[in-house]
Amino acid sequence: MALLQPTYEANEHLLREMIAVGEDIIDSKDLDLIRENANLNGESFSGKMSKLGSEYAKWYAKHFIMPKSVVRAIEENYVYVHDLDQYAIGTTNCIFIPFDKLLGGGFNTGNGSVRPPNSIMTAMALVAIIFQSQQNAQYGGVSASKIDHDLAPYVAKSFSKYFRKGVFYFEEEDGAEPSDIHMSNFELQLRYPKSFRYALKETEAETLQGAESLIHNLNTMSSRAGGQIPFTSINYGTCTSPEGQMVIDALLTATMQGLGSGETPIFPIQIFKCKQGVNQSPKDPNYALFLKAAECSAKRLYPNFANLDAPLNLQVYDPSDPDSEFATMGCRTRVLSDRFGRNKLSGKGNLSFNTLNLVKLGIEYGTALGKRKKADEQGFYHALDHYLDIALDGLLHRFDIQRRQKAKASDFMMREGVWEGGEQLAPDEPVGDLLKHGSLSLGFIGVAECMKALYGRHHGEDEQVFEKAFRLIAYMRAYCDRKSDELDLNITLFATPAEGLSGKFTKRDRQYYGSLPGITDREYYTNSFHIPVYYEIQAARKIRLEARFHDLCNAGAISYIELNGNARSNPAAFLSIVQYALSQQVSYFSINHPIDRCSACGYEGIIGSVCPSCGSHEEDVHIRRLRRVTGYLTGDFQTRFNSAKQAEVRDRVKHTP
Amino acid sequence: MNLCGYYPESINEGEGLRASIFISGCRHRCKGCFSPVTWNFNYGEPFTLQRQNEIIGDIARNPLLSGISLLGGDPFFSAAEVSEFLDRLYAQAGAVNTWIYTGYTYEELTADPLAAEYALLRRCHVLVDGRFEEALRDTSLRYCGSSNQRLINIPASLASGKVELWEPTVRF
Repeated sequence: MALLQPTYEANEHLLREMIAVGEDIIDSKDLDLIRENANLNGESFSGKMSKLGSEYAKWYAKHFIMPKSVVRAIEENYVYVHDLDQYAIGTTNCIFIPFDKLLGGGFNTGNGSVRPPNSIMTAMALVAIIFQSQQNAQYGGVSASKIDHDLAPYVAKSFSKYFRKGVFYFEEEDGAEPSDIHMSNFELQLRYPKSFRYALKETEAETLQGAESLIHNLNTMSSRAGGQIPFTSINYGTCTSPEGQMVIDALLTATMQGLGSGETPIFPIQIFKCKQGVNQSPKDPNYALFLKAAECSAKRLYPNFANLDAPLNLQVYDPSDPDSEFATMGCRTRVLSDRFGRNKLSGKGNLSFNTLNLVKLGIEYGTALGKRKKADEQGFYHALDHYLDIALDGLLHRFDIQRRQKAKASDFMMREGVWEGGEQLAPDEPVGDLLKHGSLSLGFIGVAECMKALYGRHHGEDEQVFEKAFRLIAYMRAYCDRKSDELDLNITLFATPAEGLSGKFTKRDRQYYGSLPGITDREYYTNSFHIPVYYEIQAARKIRLEARFHDLCNAGAISYIELNGNARSNPAAFLSIVQYALSQQVSYFSINHPIDRCSACGYEGIIGSVCPSCGSHEEDVHIRRLRRVTGYLTGDFQTRFNSAKQAEVRDRVKHTP
Repeated sequence: MNLCGYYPESINEGEGLRASIFISGCRHRCKGCFSPVTWNFNYGEPFTLQRQNEIIGDIARNPLLSGISLLGGDPFFSAAEVSEFLDRLYAQAGAVNTWIYTGYTYEELTADPLAAEYALLRRCHVLVDGRFEEALRDTSLRYCGSSNQRLINIPASLASGKVELWEPTVRF
């Protein structure tokens, strides 16, 4: 590959750029670069090694691969290309794994083949192995959309195994047909009371132990450079068989018990799928599990709550197919609908996404700079169209690179059919059209600051401005729908989970435009369409305002409420907030509340500067403060978050004092 | 009557999400009190009719609230005025579930059925009673500070003539 203008000056410039990239990483000079991702320890050797590769890959893509218009839009701070380091090599983003298929048929990790498991314990162990194998075939998250349904058959296998043991040891008359041996067979229970009871107790214990091992595995197996563990999410809540209920119950119990010293597990992020008639009112079969999920969430910050009854998710819901139930990556990604008919989750994922800096457009066409009295809406929408086109060009150009990759490049994913249909490809065959079932997403950040820049008030402050904000996002969604039809691809609108990005746009806009009050004067831009974290607003109103955007963001969105106070001690409040959010059609919801942990005595709760349990001071003893960023948790926010996200956490207004 | 604090939404002073209203003035002077400044009846802002109406509006408009909590100071030192506020609230916002915190005991408040304190008690649903005892302080208690304090179901207690404790409607 050659430079377009191979002059001496250009070469010198490139060389200087490259050297600076290396120095920043090796000397840990640029903390924000190193903490771009809260789950990566960028100060470790392997983290630095990975960072070097990643920064060079970005540099290479920008100089030699990408369309010039896209590079210019990045450089001028209008567009952000996520995971740019993966652009040139054509890696894809995230996936929902068909665990039922992989467990049921066995699989090959590339280093060895694995038989289908015969017990829930083994099945849970294999889930971790599948997550890890898949993680190495892509760069984003890995998710199980219906782990309760996927694992229920192995609970049944364990039960059957224990029942046979019981019959042998208790010398109860042998004669039960294999097909009669299952947990909901009441006659079996009457005929073989001892064996049945024994089998049930042992299966329960094994399922819990399996869940514990799964959670421990997913928090300890560093499989990426920088000590990163796979970005795993598990969705559950709707399986109503006793086996499925046992899986859900065990996962929740194990999560509440926590890791080795009782601390909150960071992964897998868990999502409880809420559905009327299944788990939302006391007469529903899984209501007790919903209550338990709320209890777990009050204690551990998750499960988050997915709303199967939100209109967007109800469209493709088929009660006979749990794979048609809305589920998500922890971060919020939604890939449920497919214009090619695969309106289900497993076997596909998001391919890539680009985010627009709405704030910059707002500043240029709004009143913030004092150049005009009234926002230039026509100019704004004209520029918006221009940058939507460029951002989409970037996605399409990247998609073309992704399509040309050979199946063996994402070996596990294709060979094992984790991406549906991949198993039919020869190793050297390009993945091609198979990828069209995935989604290409356009994202956005800073609706609040954009409105402030255009009109002087944000969408939480003024009803008319709210309608303008709504119109803007509806406009972007219409653009995505139109382009989907024109290009015959799944182009979707994303309420971007901005973690690394949250401070990047801001920093550069502030350098350029100065510190504009309510716009560039903080270290971060407000996530997607959220009402600013520092704005005082009652919980119900925040939920109502944000809810309207969820239906527009078909690539995913999340809303939060911040609670101050011990959420664990007020179940009624916790439940009423969750159910209110669901009733307002929020698609994906969670409650943030502080979980601090004293490393001296292990006390968990709200800790100011002094631990209420042992009296240790934060200056003497490390207080681990767990917070949520994009939907995932991270460890201690003070050592792992970048400066922009740290500032955001400090600014968060609690919706209850 | 002065207002020394108002949280439109709180999870710390009673079951569910509640609007917490703090009335200035207290003569119990418990040792270890979390905010002795509120003992002063002149502390805070005057709880004017306008301010009362604003708060009543907040409560009526908020679909997430399980009710309100009255704290202080000690609202029973301004019993008659607090009763008037509650009557106004109930007239405008309908049936609102009310928790009330006091340093008095239930027995003291029910001693004289003709007293203003009894009239206020009658308007409320849950009483958190008893002085704060520093020696009995326990941070693990729900909705109160020391283990001598009781959470009393007021209507049930008045009906049966003896102290009936409040039970949570949702448990984890």
